[in-house]
Amino acid sequence: MSSLVIRGLDTMDIGDIVGIDEKITKQYRPEVWEARCAYYLRRDPDAAVVCVADGTVVGFMLGEVRSGEFGLEEPTGWIEVLGVDPEHQGKAIGRQLADAMLDYFKRRGAKTVRTLVDEEMADIAGFFDSLGFQPSSLRPFVKTL
Amino acid sequence: MAVSEVKLPKNFHQAVEDWRDTFLPDYQFLLDSWEKHFPKEPMFKLCAYREMGVCANIECGAKEGQPKATKPSELDEDQAQHLLGAIRAQASTEFGSIQQHRLTLARAQSEEEQVWVLRMMAEELRHGYQMLHLLVDDDWTCQTQQSSADMVEEILSMQTGSHVLGAFNIDFDSFVDNIVFCALIDRVGKYQLAMQKVSAYKPMAESMPQMLREEAFHLATGVVPMRRWATQAAEGEVYVTMEMMQKAINKWLPRGLEMFGDERGGGSNVRMGLKPMKNAEAQADYYQEVAKVVDDLNIRYLRAKVKDLSIGEARELLANLERGRGKAKGVDHAELLRMPDRDFFRRRGVPAFTMVGFEGETYDLYQDYVQHLRKHLPESYLAGRDFRDYAETLKKVAAGEMTAEDGARKMPELRRVGGSCPCSKSVRWVRGESEEGTKLPVMGG
Ligand SMILES: CC(C)(COP(=O)(O)OP(=O)(O)OC[C@H]1O[C@@H](n2cnc3c(N)ncnc32)[C@H](O)[C@@H]1OP(=O)(O)O)[C@@H](O)C(=O)NCCC(=O)NCCS
Ligand SMILES: [Fe+2]
Ligand SMILES: [Fe+2]
Repeated sequence: MSSLVIRGLDTMDIGDIVGIDEKITKQYRPEVWEARCAYYLRRDPDAAVVCVADGTVVGFMLGEVRSGEFGLEEPTGWIEVLGVDPEHQGKAIGRQLADAMLDYFKRRGAKTVRTLVDEEMADIAGFFDSLGFQPSSLRPFVKTL
Repeated sequence: MAVSEVKLPKNFHQAVEDWRDTFLPDYQFLLDSWEKHFPKEPMFKLCAYREMGVCANIECGAKEGQPKATKPSELDEDQAQHLLGAIRAQASTEFGSIQQHRLTLARAQSEEEQVWVLRMMAEELRHGYQMLHLLVDDDWTCQTQQSSADMVEEILSMQTGSHVLGAFNIDFDSFVDNIVFCALIDRVGKYQLAMQKVSAYKPMAESMPQMLREEAFHLATGVVPMRRWATQAAEGEVYVTMEMMQKAINKWLPRGLEMFGDERGGGSNVRMGLKPMKNAEAQADYYQEVAKVVDDLNIRYLRAKVKDLSIGEARELLANLERGRGKAKGVDHAELLRMPDRDFFRRRGVPAFTMVGFEGETYDLYQDYVQHLRKHLPESYLAGRDFRDYAETLKKVAAGEMTAEDGARKMPELRRVGGSCPCSKSVRWVRGESEEGTKLPVMGG
C-alpha cells in the first residue's frame, strides 16, 4: 500500500464512507452518512478524521469534544462512529486514526476520552482495549417507550 | 489549544450589526430556529476568534524559520501591501457572499436547507468580522495612508458588482445557486484559508483555524443537498434536475478556478511566506477535488436510478458510460454530471477569452462560441449583466479590438466602488465614537 494520509473530514469523503459502511454492514445507507457527516462537519471537522490511501478514504473516526453531559462537567472527547475498510483492517489504520483524534482532543482541553461499545461487538471492544481504554463505571440504562 | 474571543471596538461592532440588519434580515429567524435545527450546539456569536499556539516561525519562503510578524510594523512594505490586499479581498468575499445568498434564500424548498444556508451566512458575517478585526486591532498607519475606519468603510460599502473577486459580483438566480456556490466557491475559500494558515503575519495565521472549521460546514451545506437532489432527480422528481445542477456547475466552476489568481502567479506570496502554494498548484488540486464531488454525485444518481446496483457495479457502469458515452442499464451518459474543461468560459488567467468549449474544444468564431455557451449555462444567467459584460468584452477580444489581458483586467467592471457610489457618500457604516447611538439611515440593497 502507498503512503497513508490522516486528515480532517471533508464533504467529498461522504461517498467513500458510505462505501466502507456498506462493506462492513452490507447496508447501503447514504442518507444516514450525509446527515452524520454534515453534523460532524458542523460541530468540528478537526475532531473527525479520515485515513486516505491513493485518493480513497479507507478508514474514518467521527467524534467531538463535549462538556456538561452525563454530569461530566469537564470537556470530554467522545469517539462515536468508526470504520476501517475490511480490505485494510489490521494495518494499524484504526490506531493511527485514534492517535490523531486523541491528540486533537487533548489540544482542545479534554482530559478523558470516552466511547460506548455494544457488548456484542467484540471486535470494537478488542480494538479499544488494545488502545488502552478500560471499562468505565458509567453504565448505560435503556427503557423502551 | 486555547482560543481567544475578541470583539471589535463598539463603533465598528455596531457598523457590522447595522450591515447585518440590512443584508441579513433573517438573522433573528436563525436564532429562533437554532434549537430546532442545531440542538445543544453552541449558539452563533458575532466575534473574532484567535487560536493560540500556532507556529511562531515563518513556514515557507525566503525568511523560513525566522519569527513571524506579530504587528504590521514588523512587515516589510511589500509584504504589508500584499497582506492588506489579501485581507481586503478575503473580507470582500465574506460580506459579498451574504449579499448574493440573500437574494434567493427565500426560495429554498426545505426548511433544513434554508436554515443551513442561513447559518452559513451568519458564519460568513463572522469571517468578515474577523478580517475587519485584523484591520482595526493592529496599527497599520506605518503601512498605509488609509485609516482603519476608512478601510472598514470601504469594505462594508461594497455591493454585488464592486467586490474584489469576480465570483462575488454575480447575482444568484435561484436556490440552486445558493447550494452550488457553497459546494464550489466555498471550496476555494477552504483552500485560501488553509494556505493562509501558514501566514508570516501571525494574527492572520491565528485567525484561520476557526474559519476553516466553519468552512467545512459551508461545503456540506452545498454538497449534501446536491447529493439529495441527484437522488431525487434519479427518482424522477422535476424540482432540481441533473441538467440544472450541471448548468450551475458550468456557471460557477470557471469563477472558482479564477479565484486562485493567474496560473503564472503566486510566487511572491510563497517567497514572502504568506502562502505555501503557487496559484496553479492549488488550482489543480481544487479541480481534482471538484471532480471527485462530481463523481460521487454520479454514483449517488446511478445507484438511485438502477436498483440493486452494488458500489462496484455502479463504479463500473459510470466508467463504461464515460468511456462509451452511450446508454447502459437504462441510463444515458447525457444524464450524468460532467466536469467542464479547465479552460471553459474563462475570462482571467492564462485561458482568458480563448474560446475553449465545455469539452476542451476550441472555437474560432465569436458567434459560435456564444451559441455554445448558451447551451451550457443557465438561462436566467444568460439574461443577466455578468454574462452580457463578458460577451461584450469577448466580442472585442475576438475582433482584435482589445487584448485578452486588457479584457481580463476589465472583468469584473468595478461599477459601484466605495467613493463613486452616491449613497456611500451620504451613508457611513462606521460612525465616530461621538456619533454612537444616532441611528443611521439604512442603505438600500
Ligand atoms: C475495529 C476497527 C476500527 C479496527 O481497525 P484496524 O485498522 O483494523 O485496527 P488496527 O490495525 O489499527 O489495530 C489496532 C489495535 O486493535 C486491535 N484490534 C483490531 N481489531 C481487533 C479485533 N477485531 N479484535 C481484537 N483486537 C482488535 C489490534 O490487534 C491492534 O492492537 P495492537 O496494536 O496491540 O496489536 C475495524 O476493524 C473496523 O472498522 N471494524 C468494524 C467497525 C464497525 O462495525 N463499525 C460500525 C459501522 S461503520
Ligand atoms: Fe467565509
Ligand atoms: Fe464559507
